[in-house]
Amino acid sequence: MLEGNGLLMFLVFFPFAAGLVSYLIGRNSKRARDIFVIVVTAAELAAAIFLIASASDTNDFHWHAFAGLGVHLRGDGFRTIMAILAGFIWFFTTIISIEYFKKTESRNRNRYYMFALWTLGATMGIFLSSHLYTTFIFFEVMSFTSYILVIHKETDDVIDASKSYVGFAVFGGLATLMGLFMLQANLGTLEMDALIPAIESTGISEVTLVWACALVLVGFGVKAGMFPLHTWLPQSYPAAPEPGTALLSAILSKAGIFGMFVITGQILLHHFSWGLALTLFGIATALLGGIMGILSDNFKKTIACSSMSQIGFIIVGVGMQAVLGHHNALAVRGSILHLVNHSLIKLALFMVAAVIFMNLKSFNLNDIRGFGRKKPALMFTTGFAILGVIGVPLWNGYVSKTLIHESIVEYIEIAEHTGWAYGFKAIEVLFIIAGGMTCCYMLKLFFAVFVEKNNDPAKQAQFDANKHYMSVPVTVILIISAAILPVIGAIPNITADGIADVAQHFLHGHSPEHAVHYFSWVNISGTLKSLGGGVAAYLVIVRLGMLRKQSDGKKAYVNAWPEELDLEKKVYRPALLTVLPFIGALFARSVASIVDWFTAFVGKIIFLKRPERFQPPLNNEFGTFNEEEKESKIPQGISYSLIMFGAGVVAVLYFIIISFISGWR
Amino acid sequence: MIGILLLIPILFPVFAGLAVFPMENRKTMRTFVSVIVIINAAVVYGLAFIPDAELEVWNIADTMVVSFHQDGMSKFFACLIASIWVLVAFFAYEYITHEGDESKFLGFYTMTIGTIMGICYSSNLITFYMFFEFMSLITVPLVIHSRTKDSMKAGMKYLGYSVFGAGLGLFGLFFLNYYTKGHIGFTSGGNLDMSLVAGHENWVLVVTLIMVIGFGCKAGMLPLQAWLPTAHPVAPAPASAVLSGLITKAGVLGIIRVCYYMVGIDFLSGTWVQTVLMSLAICTVFMGSMLAFKEKLFKKRLAFSTVSQVSYVLFGLFLFTPQGLLGALLQVIFHAVAKNIMFLSAGAIIYKTHKTYVYELRGIGKQMPIVMWCFTLASLSLIGIPPTGGYFSKWYLATGALSGGFGFLGYLGAATLLVSALLTAGYVLPIIQEGFFPGKDFDYKGLEKKEPSKLMTVPLIILSVAVLGLGIIPTPLTAAIDQISTTVFAGM
Repeated sequence: MLEGNGLLMFLVFFPFAAGLVSYLIGRNSKRARDIFVIVVTAAELAAAIFLIASASDTNDFHWHAFAGLGVHLRGDGFRTIMAILAGFIWFFTTIISIEYFKKTESRNRNRYYMFALWTLGATMGIFLSSHLYTTFIFFEVMSFTSYILVIHKETDDVIDASKSYVGFAVFGGLATLMGLFMLQANLGTLEMDALIPAIESTGISEVTLVWACALVLVGFGVKAGMFPLHTWLPQSYPAAPEPGTALLSAILSKAGIFGMFVITGQILLHHFSWGLALTLFGIATALLGGIMGILSDNFKKTIACSSMSQIGFIIVGVGMQAVLGHHNALAVRGSILHLVNHSLIKLALFMVAAVIFMNLKSFNLNDIRGFGRKKPALMFTTGFAILGVIGVPLWNGYVSKTLIHESIVEYIEIAEHTGWAYGFKAIEVLFIIAGGMTCCYMLKLFFAVFVEKNNDPAKQAQFDANKHYMSVPVTVILIISAAILPVIGAIPNITADGIADVAQHFLHGHSPEHAVHYFSWVNISGTLKSLGGGVAAYLVIVRLGMLRKQSDGKKAYVNAWPEELDLEKKVYRPALLTVLPFIGALFARSVASIVDWFTAFVGKIIFLKRPERFQPPLNNEFGTFNEEEKESKIPQGISYSLIMFGAGVVAVLYFIIISFISGWR
Repeated sequence: MIGILLLIPILFPVFAGLAVFPMENRKTMRTFVSVIVIINAAVVYGLAFIPDAELEVWNIADTMVVSFHQDGMSKFFACLIASIWVLVAFFAYEYITHEGDESKFLGFYTMTIGTIMGICYSSNLITFYMFFEFMSLITVPLVIHSRTKDSMKAGMKYLGYSVFGAGLGLFGLFFLNYYTKGHIGFTSGGNLDMSLVAGHENWVLVVTLIMVIGFGCKAGMLPLQAWLPTAHPVAPAPASAVLSGLITKAGVLGIIRVCYYMVGIDFLSGTWVQTVLMSLAICTVFMGSMLAFKEKLFKKRLAFSTVSQVSYVLFGLFLFTPQGLLGALLQVIFHAVAKNIMFLSAGAIIYKTHKTYVYELRGIGKQMPIVMWCFTLASLSLIGIPPTGGYFSKWYLATGALSGGFGFLGYLGAATLLVSALLTAGYVLPIIQEGFFPGKDFDYKGLEKKEPSKLMTVPLIILSVAVLGLGIIPTPLTAAIDQISTTVFAGM
């Protein structure tokens, strides 16, 4: 029943058991629970690292009886990296969450840790799955357990955001399920390795296959925050407590990317139109996230929108894999690396957000303005993360963004003399613009928190005096999380290429013919263009547009994002909650009432003469009926009876004629 | 003479149930009913382990015979119904105290299980029809238990529809009696005499359609579903639970017996009747969910949900493929379990707080965490979220619909299952969200724990463990159903 590498089973199922145990421990001792949770996540991280030793394509685990088709796990190169990443991020966020909850909202911590651990198990299940049925099971479990993380604060805004979160999760999950039904019915298998052979042997029509994949994409696209399924993201990320948001942004969104990898690498391999569609969705996501990030006056919302934007870059990379076909080495490596980089960067940034919130209980840029001054550790972490995410050479984001950018350029060269070259030229320009946006909103955050002074001098003095804004363990993990970033970025031919070499097999990728010169002038100049644009945009949009003079003569940040431009509140909610249910209910009620109407009609005929009420007898001899008769809407009399009889005759004749014509036997 | 044992689960509860009526002492009554239902379940499980048996009781006139037998299908339904019946009985003891007339309720409750066992074990359509009518009649007192005007009216509607539906079944029997040369017993693969049928195929098809619609009445299938959302909510909660979860399944069994054991699926598959029936089931699935989504009365919402969910079963049956049957029978189990949990939870809420509308249930999860946790698990199963059981059954229903070569109708069916799942999420998740997360302005100070006694929570917990456990490890169920399936599809 159970066979294969037990370590894989441990990674997936241990957190579920541990979650329950932590809840029980927490009922007695909060301190013991905190320690237990840290130990559990450390054990997960250790187990994931141990997985390296056995990582290979045959490193499988099967539990055949589980939920019908069984659980199929695998620990190959890519999956091992994802597992380590998940374990690492969980370990760090758990450490910071203990201090975070103590300083902010200490209610319902037990619930939070239980569901966080369950989410860890489910996420491991997704990343290690080698069978789409397994992926889907854990994907749904993850959607629902992470819901509790989102709703943790339980304020009205948060509850509204979590409705959006769970609504999209259910919708996306069911769309994915429909796609899986179609794949299973047509291919007879959902085993990832067996999909491409099955497509060849069953001769499934391309239309069916692309439709099925598009449906599967919906669920994963929701989790990744892909346009136009993104509207939950700018609501839910800020709603969750910061350690939870770190999980959502750094790792849960990657479950969506994982699904896209599976479709692009294991089903629609090298499918041009699929890749083109994904590229366009990706670039739209990157641009929209960037714009929303720039225009927000909220620290956390800005980095939430930044997540959306960066995931857009990853999706562009995934799309380019398919567009480039066999020449997709750069796109494969770029998207894998940007996935890893974004996770690490967002871990650092959301931990910084957690530190800010547990001190100030606010994210409004005007409230937190100047908080970071004279706080070197915080500044170091934030600065390194920002350098990483905007893609400054020697930091990690530069490597992956360059690879994705190069892959677009590569296709422009391939398609030199066709119309596609112009199209992809446009995509390249948009890509650079989106990169500039990253620079713009990150500068906004950095200057607001670490350079400018607060408008209220008393508050600034208070900020400057606050030296104990985070504990030693939190300082340590913050610095570690930031220090990793240049390790990947400064020696990319060793670290980044190492990760890519191990992982690319999952996407049927291969190493490029010659080593990539990351720090060649061509690549650096491209980045400089992007950064220059970003700085210019910062000066124009943020300094001139968003810093407005207030009544007291001082400049303060304003929210420049037009709140009424809300796709969800203006389109999705009215359509899905009002219009469609109205039409559906109209249809349903009519269908459901046919027989009721018929019985009412028959009743009218049968009980035509029956008086309404029985009058109690006035004397003991006999009863009498009430004089008043109920007025019947149905006409009475012999002519009416004749008409009804005639109708019956017509019906019978009609039946006879029809059966005669159609050869009724 | 093993066959004689079949009479125990049928007659014993009926007669023993009669003895409940005069009882006045609450404790004796409860002990007595518990003993009856537990013995009944034990006998049913015992029978499941002995080979198939047959028993002819009474020959009314030439081919009209009252006789019993057990095959895989009987065992399946009997075991399911008898075991849940025990759990609901325990819940009912406490619940019914606030409705009054305990002995009457428990008496009829006990007698009903006997008539259902009669339905499960009948070996021909005459016997089946007889017990079907018994069951309809004997459940009317459960529906009208509160004796309010609404419940009396609902009871009459229930009775009218039931009798009419069963009448349609009986009507078809007269025809089938001819086309089978009087072999009206249940044999897998059907027993039509093809030499008589030749040239009259369409007549047989019309008759089948009428019979299925007739038995479909009990299962809440269009067009005879209107009684269900009226009658189920007015009954006391334990009665609603068994009416919705289990007694609708008697209608399902009727349809299985007609399609798979009398007319035969060889004859039916690919005909226009199959198309009509699949369309009816699809319409019902959508209609039920849609109206549940719009409904504000908690128990009525659940009743509409039953209309939808039982038609999932019927949709699977009408595919006439092994995968469809597997999905359908799994759905029978998981819907029975989930719907019982949900109605019992609704009952517990009514019993403790007297709240009947969904918008009154804010913060209920804080007051009754165990009950609402059970409700949540059942809801997830009802939507079809893995790894609960409901997901598992829907998987087979939808892949069966897509892989059976039904073309557009198959895709429409699978898509409707998912749209319905979305609607299901729309009508259960808000209850859970409001229940567990009432918002910051909720009055936590005035909150008091209202968890009901163990008599109510333990049955709920057992059922919830089943819904999750059987979803995670469904192998025993699939093995049992595969056995049934191989005999049903032996000739194909």
